[in-house]
Amino acid sequence: MKNLKLLFGKGNSIGQYGMIIALIAILILFSILTNGLILEPTNIINVFLQYSYILILALGMVMVIIAGHIDLSVGSVAAFTGIIVAQSMAQWNFPAWAAIILGLAVGAAVGAWQGFWVAFVKVPAFIVTLAGQLIFRGANQIIGNSTSQPVPDDYAQIGSGFLPDFGPDFGFSNGTVILGIITCLVLVFLEFRGRQRRKKMQAEVVPLWVSIVRTGILVAVTLVATYLFGAGPAGTSIPIVAIILGVLTILYGFLTKNTIFGRQVYAVGGNANAAVLSGVSARKVNFFVMMNMSVLAAVAGMVFVGYSGASGPADGTGWELDAIAAVFVGGAAVAGGIGTISGSIIGGLVMALLSNGLSLVGLESNKVQIIRGLVLLVAVAFDVYSKSQGRPSLIGGMLKQFQRKDTEQNTVAAQQPRSIEDQPEKVNSQ
Amino acid sequence: MRKKLIAGIGLALVAGLALSGCSARGNDTGSGSSSDGASNVKIEKGALIGVALPAKTSQNWVLAGAAFEKSIKDAGFKADIQYANAGNPVPDQQAQIQSMVTKGAKAIIVGAADGSQLGTQVAAAKKSGAVVIAWDRNILNTTNVDYYVAFNNFKVGQLQGQALLDGMKAKKSSGPYNIELFSGSPDDANAKVFFNGAMDVLQPKIDDGTLKVVSGRTSFSETNTQGWLAQNAQSRMTDILTKSYTNTELDGVLSPNDTLARAILTATKAAGKPNPVVTGQDSETASIPLIMQGEQYSTIYKNTTEEAQAAIDLVSDLADGKTPKTTEDKNNDNGKKVVPAVELTPILVTKENAVEAYKGNDTLEELAKKG
Repeated sequence: MKNLKLLFGKGNSIGQYGMIIALIAILILFSILTNGLILEPTNIINVFLQYSYILILALGMVMVIIAGHIDLSVGSVAAFTGIIVAQSMAQWNFPAWAAIILGLAVGAAVGAWQGFWVAFVKVPAFIVTLAGQLIFRGANQIIGNSTSQPVPDDYAQIGSGFLPDFGPDFGFSNGTVILGIITCLVLVFLEFRGRQRRKKMQAEVVPLWVSIVRTGILVAVTLVATYLFGAGPAGTSIPIVAIILGVLTILYGFLTKNTIFGRQVYAVGGNANAAVLSGVSARKVNFFVMMNMSVLAAVAGMVFVGYSGASGPADGTGWELDAIAAVFVGGAAVAGGIGTISGSIIGGLVMALLSNGLSLVGLESNKVQIIRGLVLLVAVAFDVYSKSQGRPSLIGGMLKQFQRKDTEQNTVAAQQPRSIEDQPEKVNSQ
Repeated sequence: MRKKLIAGIGLALVAGLALSGCSARGNDTGSGSSSDGASNVKIEKGALIGVALPAKTSQNWVLAGAAFEKSIKDAGFKADIQYANAGNPVPDQQAQIQSMVTKGAKAIIVGAADGSQLGTQVAAAKKSGAVVIAWDRNILNTTNVDYYVAFNNFKVGQLQGQALLDGMKAKKSSGPYNIELFSGSPDDANAKVFFNGAMDVLQPKIDDGTLKVVSGRTSFSETNTQGWLAQNAQSRMTDILTKSYTNTELDGVLSPNDTLARAILTATKAAGKPNPVVTGQDSETASIPLIMQGEQYSTIYKNTTEEAQAAIDLVSDLADGKTPKTTEDKNNDNGKKVVPAVELTPILVTKENAVEAYKGNDTLEELAKKG
C-alpha cells in the first residue's frame, strides 16, 4: 500500500482515481462493443479534433468553479470571437496570425468586462455571465448577419490541422514520433532532477525502483499515445489542437498547483473571508479567473471555427453546459474550493469518449444525451455520498491513505517519518 | 498531478489496445487508397451507408429518416442513420459524420445542419475512400463533395412563375394583370435561385406589358423578405397596398413559400381586397386547406421519399460500376466547385391535382381529401 502511494504520489482526491477507473472502464466497454474501433488511431485523433474545444473551456471553467463562481457565457463569447475572427479575415483580409491575436484581444476585452462586474461591482457571476450569454449571442448574430462565414484554409489549421509530415517515411508521422521521444526524455529528466533536488534539500528520496517504475509507466503511456497519434493514415498525426490543449493543460496545471496565485484561487473559493483576512486580494483573484475564462472561451471559439471551416450562427450553443459537466464529473465541488485541472481534463475525456463510443455504437443522439446526463448525475452523487459517509469511496479502503487533502507541493518533505527505518535514510543521504 | 493524469489515460489506452489489437498506418478504416475521383470508389453490396440528417425540426426530416431506412435496406446495403441533436446540431453532426468514417461507411449522405461547417469531416470521409453525397442542402466551400441530390430550385421558381400566370388567366382571360413580387431571405442561397427561376417566366411578360408591377419593385434586393419572416412580408404587402392599390385591383402575387403566401393573404384581407392569385411552396399543412378552399392558388410539393430514393439509386449505380447520370448546374456551385447533381423535379400542386400529388404522404393526402 505504501508502495502504491509512493508510485502515484499524493494530493489526489479519490474522485479522480474513480474517474480514471471510469475512463478505463469506458474504453474497455466500448472496445468490446465496437470491436476495437474506439482505439483505432483514426478515432483517437478524431476525438481530440472534435472535443478539444470543450476541454479547453473546462480548463478555464474549473478555475472559475474553484473560485466559487460559474460562467454561463462561454458559448456566446466563443461564438462572438469566432465571427469577429472570421470576418476580420474575410472583410479586412487579416492574415491568420493577426486574426488569432485579434481573437485573443477580443476574449481579453470581454473577460475584463465580465471580470469588472463580478470583482468590483460584486454582481454574482451567475447573473453577469447570464447577461453576457445574451449580450454576446446577440452581438454574434448582428456581426455575422445570422449566417455562416467561411475561413481560409491556412487559418483552419489551428482546428483541423496536423503536425506536418516530413523526412523519410517510416510508416509513422515523424513529427509525432519526435515529439513523443522528446516528451519521454523530459519525463526521465524531470524524475532525475527531482531526485537530485531532494537529495540536495536532504528530503526523503523515494527508492530507485519507484522512480524507475513510475517513469517507466509514464514513458510507456507516452509511447502508446505517440503510436496512436502517429499511426493514423498518411497526412494525419497529432492534431495541432491537441498540442494547444496539451500546452494549456501543463500551463494551467502549473499555475494552479505551483504558484502563489493558483493557491489563492483555492483559498478564495474555499473561504473568501478567511482568504481576505490572510491578505489575499479576492478582487484580483475574481477578476483574473473571469477574464481568463473568456480568453480561453475565445481560444475554444477560434479552434472550433478552424475545425468547422466556418463560423456559424449557432456556434457555442450549450458549450457552457458541456464544460461545466466536464468539471463536475472531474471531481470539482459546487461550493468552490475543490477541483483540479487534471481532474477536469479526465472528466472531459470521460464525457467525450462516452459520446464518441455511443456514437460509434450507433445510438441516436437524443439517447446519448440522456446517458450523458445520467453519468453526470451519478458521478457527482457518488462524490457527494462518499463525502457524507466520511470515507472516500468504495475503493477508499484500498486508498485510505490518500484521504488527507494536501495543499503543499512538497508534502513528502513536510511529512513526519513514518517509521524508524525512514530516519537513517535521511541521515545517510546527507 | 499531470503525470497521474497521463498515467491514467495511458493505462486505459494500453488496456484497450490489448483488446483491440494494433493496426499499422494507412491500414485503417476505409480503403485509404487513391480516391481522387468518385469513379474508382468500390462499393460492395452490404456495405455500410451513413446518413447524417439535421435535427428533427420538421416533419420532412422525420419522413426522410424512414425513407432512407427503407430504400437502403431494399437496395441491399446496411444503414446507419443519425439525426443531429436539436440543442447543438453542428458539433453533433460533425461527430456523427466522423463516426461513420471510423465505422468504415462506403457512402456518406449528408443533409447538412449547416452546409458551410462540414469541410473537415467530408475531407476525412473522402480520405477514407467514401463517396460523399450532399442531400437536399449543398455542402459549401469544399472540393470533397462528390454529388448533390436535391430538387431543382430553379425549376421550383419556374413552376411558381407559370402557376401565377395560369391562375390569373383562369380568373380573367386577358391582361394586363397587376402583380407584386416577393422573394425569400437574402441569407438563404436558395432564395435567389427561386426568384431567378420565377423571373425566367415572368420577365418576358413584364417586358411585353402583359404584367404590370405597380409598385415598380422587380429586383431581388427590392423584394426580399429578411429571415423568411411572415411579419416582414405582411407589413411590406400592407405598405404596397396602401401606396399603390387604393384605386387599382391586385391580380396576383408571386410568393416564394407558403408561410409568406399566408402572410400576404392576411394583408390583402385586412385591406379589404379580394384574394389575389398567390403562389407558394413546401406544402405546409396550414396552407393545404387554403388551397382546397381556393384562397391560396398553388404550392410546391417535394416528395422526400423520392429524394431519398434518388440518393440511394446513385449509390447503387456506383456499386454496379455504372456512371451516375448527373447534371452540371451553375446553381450548384458550392464556392469551390460545381457539384455534379441529381436534380429532381418538384410537383406543382393546385386544388385540381392535390389529392393525386400527395399520394403516399398520409398526412397531406388526408388534408387534401378533407378539402
